[in-house]
Amino acid sequence: MHPYDRFVRIVLPVGATCLLLTVTAVGWIAQPDRLARGYAPEQPIPYSHALHAGTLKIPCLYCHAGADRSRHAGIPAVETCMNCHRVTKTDSPAIRKLTDVYDSGRPLEWARVHTLPDYVYFDHRPHVNAGIACQTCHGEVQTMTVVSRRMSMRMGNCLGCHRDPRAALPSGSKILRGPEHCNACHR
Amino acid sequence: MMRSDGRRRLRYWRSLAEYHGLPPTEEERVAEAAHGAAGPPEFPGDGVSRRRFLGLLGASAALAAGASCSRAERGTIVPYTKRPPEVVPGVANHYASTFQEGTSAFGVLVKVREGRPIHIEGNDEHPEFAGKTHLRAIADLLRLYDPDRLRRPLLYGKPATWAEADGRIVPLLRAAAASRGPVLLVTGAVVSPTRMAVLEDLRRVLPGLRHVAVEPLAGPGSRDAAVACFGEALTPRLRFDRADVILALESDFLGSDGQAPIAIREFVSRRRVEGRGDSMSRLWVLEAGMSVTGTNADHRLPVRPSASAAVAFALARALHEEHGIALPAGLSKEVLSAFGLDAIAGRVNAPRALLDALAADLAKAGRAALVVAGPSLPAEAHVASSLLNVMLGAEGHTVDAAAACRPAAGPATAEDLAAALREAKAGGVAAAIFWGVNPAYWLPDAALFKSAIARAPARIFIGLDRDETAEDCPIVLPEHHWLESWGDYETSEDLLSLEQPAIGPLYDTRQGEEILLGWAKALGAVVPAGYREYLKARWRREVYSAASPVPFESFWSAALHDGVLRRPAAPASPRAIRIAAVETAASAAAVEHAAPGMGLTLLLHPAVTVYDGRYANNGWLQELPDPVTTVTWGNPARLSPADARRLGLEDGDVVRLEARGRSLEVPLLVQPGQAEGTVSLALGYGRSTGSVATGVGVDAWPLMGTGSDAAGSPFLAAARLTSAGTRAETATAQMHRSMEGRDIVRSLTLARYAKAGFEQEKREPATLFPAQEFPEHKWGMAIDLTACVGCGGCVVACQSENNVAVVGPEQVRRGRAMHWMRIDRYFDGSPDNPRVVHQPMLCQQCDSAPCETVCPVNATTHSPDGLNQMAYNRCVGTRYCANNCPYKVRRFNFLEYTAAKTEPESLVFNPEVTVRPRGVMEKCTFCVQRIDDVRQRAKGEGRAVRDGEIVPACAAACPATAIVFGDLKDPTSEVSRLAASDRGYRVLEELGVKPSVTYLARLTNPAKGGDGHEG
Repeated sequence: MHPYDRFVRIVLPVGATCLLLTVTAVGWIAQPDRLARGYAPEQPIPYSHALHAGTLKIPCLYCHAGADRSRHAGIPAVETCMNCHRVTKTDSPAIRKLTDVYDSGRPLEWARVHTLPDYVYFDHRPHVNAGIACQTCHGEVQTMTVVSRRMSMRMGNCLGCHRDPRAALPSGSKILRGPEHCNACHR
Repeated sequence: MMRSDGRRRLRYWRSLAEYHGLPPTEEERVAEAAHGAAGPPEFPGDGVSRRRFLGLLGASAALAAGASCSRAERGTIVPYTKRPPEVVPGVANHYASTFQEGTSAFGVLVKVREGRPIHIEGNDEHPEFAGKTHLRAIADLLRLYDPDRLRRPLLYGKPATWAEADGRIVPLLRAAAASRGPVLLVTGAVVSPTRMAVLEDLRRVLPGLRHVAVEPLAGPGSRDAAVACFGEALTPRLRFDRADVILALESDFLGSDGQAPIAIREFVSRRRVEGRGDSMSRLWVLEAGMSVTGTNADHRLPVRPSASAAVAFALARALHEEHGIALPAGLSKEVLSAFGLDAIAGRVNAPRALLDALAADLAKAGRAALVVAGPSLPAEAHVASSLLNVMLGAEGHTVDAAAACRPAAGPATAEDLAAALREAKAGGVAAAIFWGVNPAYWLPDAALFKSAIARAPARIFIGLDRDETAEDCPIVLPEHHWLESWGDYETSEDLLSLEQPAIGPLYDTRQGEEILLGWAKALGAVVPAGYREYLKARWRREVYSAASPVPFESFWSAALHDGVLRRPAAPASPRAIRIAAVETAASAAAVEHAAPGMGLTLLLHPAVTVYDGRYANNGWLQELPDPVTTVTWGNPARLSPADARRLGLEDGDVVRLEARGRSLEVPLLVQPGQAEGTVSLALGYGRSTGSVATGVGVDAWPLMGTGSDAAGSPFLAAARLTSAGTRAETATAQMHRSMEGRDIVRSLTLARYAKAGFEQEKREPATLFPAQEFPEHKWGMAIDLTACVGCGGCVVACQSENNVAVVGPEQVRRGRAMHWMRIDRYFDGSPDNPRVVHQPMLCQQCDSAPCETVCPVNATTHSPDGLNQMAYNRCVGTRYCANNCPYKVRRFNFLEYTAAKTEPESLVFNPEVTVRPRGVMEKCTFCVQRIDDVRQRAKGEGRAVRDGEIVPACAAACPATAIVFGDLKDPTSEVSRLAASDRGYRVLEELGVKPSVTYLARLTNPAKGGDGHEG
């Protein structure tokens, strides 16, 4: 076989296929959507949203009290847990750990589940005040024993809803579109 | 240059080269920017080798790949364990507090996010500041997070605990108390009654305590004159809002003076013109160096400081002889016979008619006149100006001694401290304590300082950072920053301000008063250990009235909330002047007047930015261009164009300046408007400690004199100037960002405005761009050039609010300063005494923005509320937009200026604003984070945004309220009203870019016949 022949018949197709496979594999592995969704890190306290928000029907804003008045929904202070757990379930190991944290004043480090890309200044206020349910972005949290991420929270998610928010808004809402200019989120 | 309507167009220029029509150099012509501005990004230090570059490249690629593939570790969220009820994460809290500097105390509001002060604004509850504050108060936030701050006590340079430090100090103090040996305590002026009470408590157990409350910038002239004339060393409160005619003698009351924000607010309140029938006050300035006040004058005469007293006495004589104003009872007119307006006119090189006009103006204003003499003038000038105020009836009206600041201690002058040190040197001291002062730096006789305290068994320094004085003290005790401290300040009898901590102590520091209380306790005094308890107890005892129906705790929390407590004020009453003082001063002035010195006079003055040097380690202040020279990072000596020609010197030459037997080398700046025969030099530079301050500028303090030497004032001296033969580049913001001589600033006189209005050619061209639609709001701004005095407060506030980088002198020289807002300074008229216009320049948020059309990646686009928005994550750094911006307000991050900053420096960042990395473009956003916040708050409350509710940082800081922001779509808004003003114009509107910022043409109010170009 002529050396050029071998190049055209074997080396070139194999090389091209390898390159294509590599690009596809890296692209698939690194895609932010795949990485983001389903992320469910272990938390220092095995807090169950399914129990608190689902069975007990505690409103989201009871704990995430900043959502309607601050940019950040906020993670509740340990003090908020202790409002009930000073008397409830005080002998469970997790609550004992929580009480210990509260009494010592030590900070409690929760693993962050939801992140936004850099340069984004998301504001919870207008969304919550427009009546958009928390579940629209955060998934059916009231069914999750361990919170996992359901939306990748990329710009496509934001714009998709801002262009056609009807599905997310309560019926009767007068809002037809969300803002789409850069300053709406970036500054 | 003639306009089509035959009127002379004002001719503005920014540098002497431009004035003389020198052609721009090839480089300036091509680059339109400073040397090196367009160069490739370089790395500081030795540069980067190819190998290192490839290494970095590989490492960052690996890092990027690693980061993008990892799904774990998104960080943690740490909530409060016990959340303070007032804190909602993401919502700022504001605390009223007080910033003190010398004998001034500024009521401020500290903006705190999650326990971290991030911005400082004026306290709107404060009757004098009315929501405004000093630019140095805004900038001093940076010192809280200064990495140079002391973090724990030092004993002989080694870190120690407080117990170890106390263990060393207390036995020494005990021995001193037992032997009643002298203990020298040096502090700044004390305007805090409770701090004074602490000092009194300490004195009770330490009888040998000798307290010197020294302010190095305190002028002995004003103090001596006040004592001689009125028998009491007090600085009366000047009421600029009551003054129709103001005569400033070498006084920079709008600039470097400590009370500047109040003065600016009150002065501008009489300069605001709404329509053609309105009146304005008139400002006459006689000064040697061009100051901020001089740039705002309606008439400015460059005169040597030695002539000031004679001018004032001659005016007094003219008022008496020509305008029939009585001399104070008992004063013979013979005393003033040596001073004639004719002779004076010749001496100050001004037309006699002009001085007549000044005298007539003062006479006409009567009690609504105000004569102010600057702290650098000798006592006779202060006496003369007091004489004028008394004669005119201004005393008790515009000069309000009842509301004067009566410091509890001080301010002593540097000479008083030198006397105390000489005494200590002769008699020996048991201990020398320096609290918050840096005499090793600013005492002219540094050798005296060292030798006086060398043999003291205890040399103790209490302060924020390890400055020159701390270097000489074996025991160094770190104190709280004022944002971590408690305190109270009594700047006048009717006004008490409270200081409260806005953050817990960052390091192992103690409040200064608490250190002293600890010693007092150890020596046997019965005092509360904490200063907060001490302060509260004293307020309960002395300030709170037991008869009040309000319980003390409510009274206390209300006072803390407001930050200020008003008490009934004594009415202003005129004081009688002592005749003997006038006679002495007149004879002293007459001697000088008869044979004026002809050599060069050196005039030392505080810098508007770094003041006496205490803020020299502050990058924001170092990089703030001087309002007059636009120089950053340094203090060139300023000389008049005529003197420079005579001496064969030019801009950038290094000169040897000799005065009082000492000499220093300093770069030269030819300053239009500088009086002939004078050279000005700013104090506060040339520090030898501090990572920012070291080596910036030249230390001028060694040239300061004592009160008793020939010049009559420590700030003045006979000087000699010779070329040192070398050249130095000053980091000036002057020739950058050229506007190519177009009609950028417009001004006219009040008389012409009243007669003919402000005719402007409508110059908006036809456009091919489709008209923009703004469905809800259209944000806009109006800037009144008549109100703007050019102080620079907006620039600092913007820097603090928007995380604007400090780039350093080298980058400024290349035209890479990052300020989103700058103040352009234009001269008009002859270089010997030009008029000056300041113009705040920021992104004009053009509707048809030229920057938007050239961005290849759509990183800058237009928002539906009229903002020119910038998406940093899209920007790839082509810089096309900056090139195409007619206003040159876009800033490019040539280097990693801020993003690499770590704690504690990064703690100052505003979390609502992106910290921009290298390689992206940035510019003013109209504080979009504030717009958003108010809009969302209004939306949540179900109402529309109110006019005046959104205040960008620059507008909030402006003491003159020259900047108004609002919605141009709302026809009733303040900004719409101003935008429609007949003085309104848009800069470069002939380009058709449709800017959203309206400037209101500057009005000046020269006396009839004059045009402000005298001299």
